[in-house]
Amino acid sequence: MPYALTLTHLYPDHLNLYGDTGNLIVLKRRCQWMGIDCMVQPLTMGDRPTPGHTDLYFMGGGQDNDQVAVVDDFHQLKADTIQADTEAGVVFLGVCGGYQLMGHTFLMGNGEETPGLGIINVRTKAPGTEVKQRCIGNLIGELSADIYTEITAMYASPKPVPRTIVGFENHSGQTYLGQGVAPLAKTRVGFGNNATAEDEGARYRNVFGSYMHGSLLPKNPHFADYLIWLALRRKYQDDTLRLPALGDREELEAHHYAVQRYGRG
Amino acid sequence: MNQLLLIPIVAFAKLLTWVLKVSGRGSGTALPGYLVGKYFPFALGALVSQIPIIVAITGTNGKTTTQTMLSATLSQVPGVKILRNKAGANLSQGILSELLKQSNVWGRLDVTHAILEVEEATLPRIAALLQPQIIAVTNLYRDQLDAYGEIDRTEKLIRDGIAQCPQAVVVVNGDDPRTARLTHGLGNPTYFMSLAADYAKFLPYEGALHQRQQQEQGLEASHIRINPDLTTDFAIHGTLAEAIVELPQVRTASPGFFHVYNALMAIAIAKLLGVADDTALAGLQTFKPAFGRGEILTKQVGAKQVHYRLLLVKNPASFSLSLELLKAIPTLKLILAINDNTADGKDVSWLWDSELERLNQAQIDWILCTGIRAKDMAVRLKYALDTPPAEPILTLESIREAIAQSFDTAAAGETVFVMPTYTAMLEFRKLMGKTLDIV
Ligand SMILES: [Zn+2]
Repeated sequence: MPYALTLTHLYPDHLNLYGDTGNLIVLKRRCQWMGIDCMVQPLTMGDRPTPGHTDLYFMGGGQDNDQVAVVDDFHQLKADTIQADTEAGVVFLGVCGGYQLMGHTFLMGNGEETPGLGIINVRTKAPGTEVKQRCIGNLIGELSADIYTEITAMYASPKPVPRTIVGFENHSGQTYLGQGVAPLAKTRVGFGNNATAEDEGARYRNVFGSYMHGSLLPKNPHFADYLIWLALRRKYQDDTLRLPALGDREELEAHHYAVQRYGRG
Repeated sequence: MNQLLLIPIVAFAKLLTWVLKVSGRGSGTALPGYLVGKYFPFALGALVSQIPIIVAITGTNGKTTTQTMLSATLSQVPGVKILRNKAGANLSQGILSELLKQSNVWGRLDVTHAILEVEEATLPRIAALLQPQIIAVTNLYRDQLDAYGEIDRTEKLIRDGIAQCPQAVVVVNGDDPRTARLTHGLGNPTYFMSLAADYAKFLPYEGALHQRQQQEQGLEASHIRINPDLTTDFAIHGTLAEAIVELPQVRTASPGFFHVYNALMAIAIAKLLGVADDTALAGLQTFKPAFGRGEILTKQVGAKQVHYRLLLVKNPASFSLSLELLKAIPTLKLILAINDNTADGKDVSWLWDSELERLNQAQIDWILCTGIRAKDMAVRLKYALDTPPAEPILTLESIREAIAQSFDTAAAGETVFVMPTYTAMLEFRKLMGKTLDIV
């Protein structure tokens, strides 16, 4: 059946650090392999999103200057539409800076906390005494139970699904989840949201935030599929919709290799 | 300062270098310079002041190649004695170590030119002391970001370094928007090295290409042709110090657009130092690519020989550009060797910022992924290629096994292209029986 998805890539020329663009490459290819018609539209400075037009937003992390550069534009031209869309269940994935910007406060390069969009109830603060500099390194998390349960049930035919997600974090901001927001995963290796809590990333409705670069989706094909599945299910209002189970041999080998090598037992 | 004071310091440094070498604790490249710099900071100044001409080369990619090309060119001039630091020994202690090593026991340096590769963040720390006559900046790309923070900061550091040398002539990449603006607001005479627009647009610079202004002088390369043997032909025209430059036929023994910039820089610097055109071009012909920058290694078992052409990849820019070269190769055999040791960058995200999609226009015979992150590389390939080269994509974590298998697969006399990260390249060379020593 001819499914179609519209993906919106927010600020591809400003927020594109550490392979974040790889997430779009993966979503596009997987849609192609599954026979889903997929359109990616860039939305950059000065552009205004069309309400109700997007099925999945992606926003990556940027260098400090770039993050500062987009914040006013985001508030003035994009925040309202994105808030309305995500409240209606549209899928959103933010990585690192893109995650922080969706919260109430985010961290500027000079250590200043600045108001974010406040679409999800998280706050990002400057690192205190608990972390000396940045949180940098391999990051492995165990997916939250409800997400994992849904993932295992979303395929048309059975396939092995890792419970873990793997990536590489590089951030100084310390993010704390507020009421109504669930963690994406439990941190097994690395820091994740902050140096003291043991969770990584966030979920509110279909808005997901994560500190995983790496890129996030290539080595976590199950999570990539989950985003596609949520987007399709919402768009076509079909709770019985199932995804074809792609082979994923290379992806899962890379995934398990990372878990083994950097998982420390 | 009293030259006599240098004698015991130089003697100490030489002794230390010798001890380190004999005891097998390294080749003594950094420690003597570090200790002398720390306890006798005046020593560097005393050594530097003896060198008539100093050229400092910095930037993300191509420092070593530019340095080597310039040495090849200048050394054609009778009476020139060149001092250069070893590739990679480009922090202040490495540079000081080299000066100590090259001086005689009286602390005298018998050189006419120092051509120094200077690491980007080191430039502002030693620029005031070196006071180079010429500062060259090859390009400014995002490198391994976990090593140095952010490219904006690097740009600022280099600018600070230049600002400390108001007398210096600056030679920059004139297409890279980050290097082209380095001397804005500074008084330094600046020369811009660029490629004709139809080539420059292929280059993965950040932001819009710098457009040459009427009053800006420099050299431009056009008619660039990359030959199947990976030599590169091109023509140069432009203006330097108010003089017209026309060099219709230039050839480098190294492949690709990066090397054209490096050659432009070397020729511009040589000409600014008064070298004649013929001499400069003849010098460039003697240039042989440094290890990992297009060098060829040969493995022989019995009568069978297979050649390996090494193209170091260190960031998305160099990876994407080297991939561009491979489009010219008939029936490409390719090894991608990706490690994630500290010197490679522990984060392999950059594979996703590299345009592996360019391989869709290459004639692929086979591709083998190796190194610690072979599996990450395989995933990147899977998503880049419209048609996968094999199913599943070939991976062999062990570089030793990758060499063995590729040798068996290749026919006698064939050339296999190898794109390794830094430590994968060292390992590859070692397995091929090459030591670390270079140039
Ligand atoms: Zn980050």
